[in-house]
Amino acid sequence: MADLKILAVDDSPTMRRIIVNTLKRAGYTDVVEAQDGKDALAKLKVESINFVITDWNMPEMDGLTFVTTMRSTDDLKEIPVLMVTTRSVKDDIIDAMKAGVNSYIVKPFTPDTLKQKIEQILAG
Amino acid sequence: MTMTDLLQNQIQKEISELTDSINLIVDNFKTLRNPLAESHEKVPIAARQLDKVTEQTEAAANRMLDMLETITERQGEVITGLETIKGEVEKQGAEELTTLANSLVEKVNTNLNDAYSIMDALQFQDITSQQVNHAVSLLEDLGGKLQTIVTAFHGNPPEETAEEMPRKERAFDPRADMNDKKTNQADIDNLFNNRA
Repeated sequence: MADLKILAVDDSPTMRRIIVNTLKRAGYTDVVEAQDGKDALAKLKVESINFVITDWNMPEMDGLTFVTTMRSTDDLKEIPVLMVTTRSVKDDIIDAMKAGVNSYIVKPFTPDTLKQKIEQILAG
Repeated sequence: MTMTDLLQNQIQKEISELTDSINLIVDNFKTLRNPLAESHEKVPIAARQLDKVTEQTEAAANRMLDMLETITERQGEVITGLETIKGEVEKQGAEELTTLANSLVEKVNTNLNDAYSIMDALQFQDITSQQVNHAVSLLEDLGGKLQTIVTAFHGNPPEETAEEMPRKERAFDPRADMNDKKTNQADIDNLFNNRA
């Protein structure tokens, strides 16, 4: 946990703050923020990120395109991704899974679910 | 009067009635033109008002987050202080004070958890802003259709009003909802666990 640097990607500043606070309570204090997929890719280039939490619906570059780009980029394809979004239709979840998302949470989420999913992904 | 004359008269009468009907429809459309143009002008105003709702709820949610972060930090300090006091009174064997300290620690922890629950509940802001963005997007589509109709009446596009502004990029889930999740977490987990 000590070496874990998380990138939280969401276009809503409120949601980013809630995610950052929830992560802090769970013991994950090293968090970088990005407002969309494009911004996130830029942050991934300069920061040593080893876990990504991303929203789906964002301007500039949405979460699905962002994850697809990550999975086709050598340096980024192994970084675990947790998607946190309002999209709860099964077909959307399957699309996210196909894009390479490791796990998926529908908003509004509980802190326990967020913590549990991070731990599950990290445990492999 | 010959049969041909009768037929010609009949056709002229029909054409005359048809022309009257068309003129009446055109007049009706003309009376509709101004209300349609007015409605078209009101769409950007309504869209802007809805955008303000999002901006203001976001600002309010962030002010609440500022306060909650301060409160949770302060409560954390209070718990640390109370734990120190509790340790000291335990050493002195003061049972009543130890009980009081335990009770205060419990209450402060409850306050802390309540503050975190309020923080979690502020997720509503993101979800409702997506719902509002969906509504604005529908309004903007309606505005576009009204413009097409008004343009057809005028023969050229209506003059841009002061309220006109470029359409901004909106990212939202049209089905975003606080309570209605189409797939529950257990089913989502099953999908991921059973992937090939």
